[in-house]
Amino acid sequence: MAASLLKTALAILATACLAGAAHAAPDAPARRVVTLGGTVTEIAYALGQGHRLVGDDLSSLYPEAATKLPRVGYYRAVPVEGVLALKPDLVLASDQSGPPAALARLRETGVRVETISDQPTVQSLDDRIRQVARALGVPERGEQLAGSVDAALRDARALPDSHARAVLIMNRTGTPLGAGGGTAASLVLELAGLVNVLADQQGYKPLSAEALGALAPQVIVVPRLSLEAAGGLDKLRASPGVAATPAAARQCIVAMDDLLVLGTGPRLPQAIRTLKETDCVARQGQPTRPAG
Amino acid sequence: MSLRTTDLALSRGGARILSGVSLAIEPGRVLGLLGANGAGKSTLLAALAGELHADEGAIELNGAALSRLPLRRQARQRAVLPQKPSLSFDLGVHEVVAMGAYPFPELDPVEVDELVGAALALAGVPHLAQRRYPELSGGEQQRVQFARVLAQCQAPRDADTPRYLLLDEPISSLDPKHQIELLRTTAGLAHRQGLGVLVIVHDVNLAARWCDRLVMLGNGTVVADGTPDAVLTPANLRAVYDIDADVLPHPTLPGRLLVLPH
Amino acid sequence: MSLARASRLARPARRAAPPAVLAGLGAAALLVTLLAALSGAVHIPLADALRVLAAGPTQPDDTLWRNVLLDIRLPRVLFAAVAGAALAIAGAAMQALFRNPLAEPGLVGISAGGALGAVGAIVLTTGGFAVTAPAAFAGSLLATAAAYAVGRRVSGVAGLLLAGIAINTVAGSLIGLLTYMASDAQLRDLTFWSMGSLAGASWPLLAFLAPWTLLWSAWLMRQWRAMNALLLGEREAQHLGFALVTVRYKLVLATALIVGPLVAATGGIGFVGLVVPHLVRMTLGADHRWLLPASMLAGALALTLADWLARIVVIPAELPIGLVTSLVGGPFFLWLLARGRKF
Repeated sequence: MAASLLKTALAILATACLAGAAHAAPDAPARRVVTLGGTVTEIAYALGQGHRLVGDDLSSLYPEAATKLPRVGYYRAVPVEGVLALKPDLVLASDQSGPPAALARLRETGVRVETISDQPTVQSLDDRIRQVARALGVPERGEQLAGSVDAALRDARALPDSHARAVLIMNRTGTPLGAGGGTAASLVLELAGLVNVLADQQGYKPLSAEALGALAPQVIVVPRLSLEAAGGLDKLRASPGVAATPAAARQCIVAMDDLLVLGTGPRLPQAIRTLKETDCVARQGQPTRPAG
Repeated sequence: MSLRTTDLALSRGGARILSGVSLAIEPGRVLGLLGANGAGKSTLLAALAGELHADEGAIELNGAALSRLPLRRQARQRAVLPQKPSLSFDLGVHEVVAMGAYPFPELDPVEVDELVGAALALAGVPHLAQRRYPELSGGEQQRVQFARVLAQCQAPRDADTPRYLLLDEPISSLDPKHQIELLRTTAGLAHRQGLGVLVIVHDVNLAARWCDRLVMLGNGTVVADGTPDAVLTPANLRAVYDIDADVLPHPTLPGRLLVLPH
Repeated sequence: MSLARASRLARPARRAAPPAVLAGLGAAALLVTLLAALSGAVHIPLADALRVLAAGPTQPDDTLWRNVLLDIRLPRVLFAAVAGAALAIAGAAMQALFRNPLAEPGLVGISAGGALGAVGAIVLTTGGFAVTAPAAFAGSLLATAAAYAVGRRVSGVAGLLLAGIAINTVAGSLIGLLTYMASDAQLRDLTFWSMGSLAGASWPLLAFLAPWTLLWSAWLMRQWRAMNALLLGEREAQHLGFALVTVRYKLVLATALIVGPLVAATGGIGFVGLVVPHLVRMTLGADHRWLLPASMLAGALALTLADWLARIVVIPAELPIGLVTSLVGGPFFLWLLARGRKF
């Protein structure tokens, strides 16, 4: 019985592959799109294509409309049948999404799956916008969006850099984590003309009170939800490690929207501008006119 | 053919428990092992049961050195009834007794059922066949375990080497009536079927009544070995148990002795 | 008392007739497997589903249903059954080995070793599932072998237990170290791996796992006499002719071989190995001749049910299977203990 089942399965695979091949060339623009990855979803909406989305993942939190769509789960644990239930003709998958076997299975069943660059770099953001736009069949809008993001980025970066020492602290589970190199937060800090004191660290790692004191940041950036978890600005400022920092002394603890500061999406210029225009940041360190 | 030790010496945890112990369990006879607490009786039984290796001397089962005999072969010739059997899982009485047939996997289920029935009857507990073992009283459980070793002793097999039964204080949780029944059954099996039996008992009078030969252990050595008449003397009793006792001919049982501690 | 009469009185006493229970469990497992195959995130009308299952693909409209039913759901449901059966029989074997109702395969380091292998692969390499699974299997075998080798130096099964605890602790700390070194993406992968998932099911995997599991389970079932004898105690088991070292070795080996590949393919699925044999014991008693096959069937039933729940409770998302078994198994186990039943 197993042998005939196996044969049937193989026959289906073969048929599906042919069917999938037939679907691969996008003759008609995809009507039912599933996006996996917060900024992928955000870009789809920024391109005005939100009405074509039929589902997204749990990390797609912006814009508000994205949270109303059916959620297939976390983008690193994609359920095959769950995605298929939405009858998509296109899946835009962040290159961070997985498991690879699930995406492969989706492709095998004939669904068009496009992998979208999703690294915390400006270049990746640019590629991402263009890739999503191309996949959705609106390349001109993609060019437009990419262009406007580029311009906004240039303008934001043109503002004075303070070169102040900065750190981003996140606290979701009780242990404060510091953002090291290779994270979106680190990119935001650097583009905002700040020096990430944890740049040598890879990724998010627990940050002890003593270490924070030793690093002596002049600016501390905190995502808003983490700030609430810590009990508010005053409580955070008074907490052991933070209290010893120049940032606390000069009252330079900046709260920012989680989505803005923890991801690299089309609102990156906004994040940079917000940071640079914050009074206490602008007044810090040695302000210089950046080149270009 | 016997189950015997020759000049057995055994240490456990660095302490010498047995020295120069020689005894033989002969088929068809009941051998009683007496001695004070700590004299080494249980250690000796464990050695005869194949659990402990001799430091010096030999242990032989029907002529074969025990240390070289595979456990399965040993189990087909010798059964052991432990002092305090523990059973904390839920088995039926029939299943427990049927375990006596495990050394004989060649038996078919019908033969095993017959064996179980016969063993339960012999142990005086056929009425417990449908019960669950954990629900029984301590004495009933002991008798079911007795049925198990009886099954092991009586399982049909091709070889005709003598079989042995080692009983480690088998009557401690039984009331007097069942104590006597167990010993009577054991003695009967020995005399009628040629089973060689070793039994450890604390009650000297029961030993005197039911054993054909006695061995007295004191401090890990054999103090006396022979018929009850020869072994049960006031001198030996004082040496082994540190008690003063009179040994009289039994008033009602001809040929038996009665021991009366002061 | 005649021998014949004694034999009749000695008719086997059981809590419930084992063959009937086995048949019942088998029928239930089959039914649940069918139900689980017929329901999921993608809605397929019952008539069409049965038609496709029975006769294979016939109509061109069936493409999606074909793919879902035969390529995604059926291997997964069968995988759940095989995994559940394997975990349950291994749990029963461990409970027999340690003579303790709280025993389960994790005690000898299989799960922790598997997790260490997987975590190591996730954090230190970039190979993805192709590397993670063999690494997990290797990890579980190595951990078990280490626990066994070290445990042998202490007499009795306590040695194995203590060595298992030690190995679990060492593995746990190494896992912690690797977790610390992990990037965010790797951390997320670790989390999901450890919650367990049957999503990796495929026909090729099943083609290996099903015969492999059946083979070692059959071998384990042949040790039923030794496991029963162990219930009497280690001394008594020896008196009945079972060499303890051999029995222990066989039980540990079979468990490692059965559970190792599962941990590799699914991550951690808890509670099945612990709770299922208990339930079966409560119905059938501890006689391993019936306990082992019944545990397999009950385990298949339980995990298929759990996976079905995992797939339909938060459509279109799925719950990790280890989460479902813990959420259901944990309180259930507490309830069992609170009843004060003797095991």
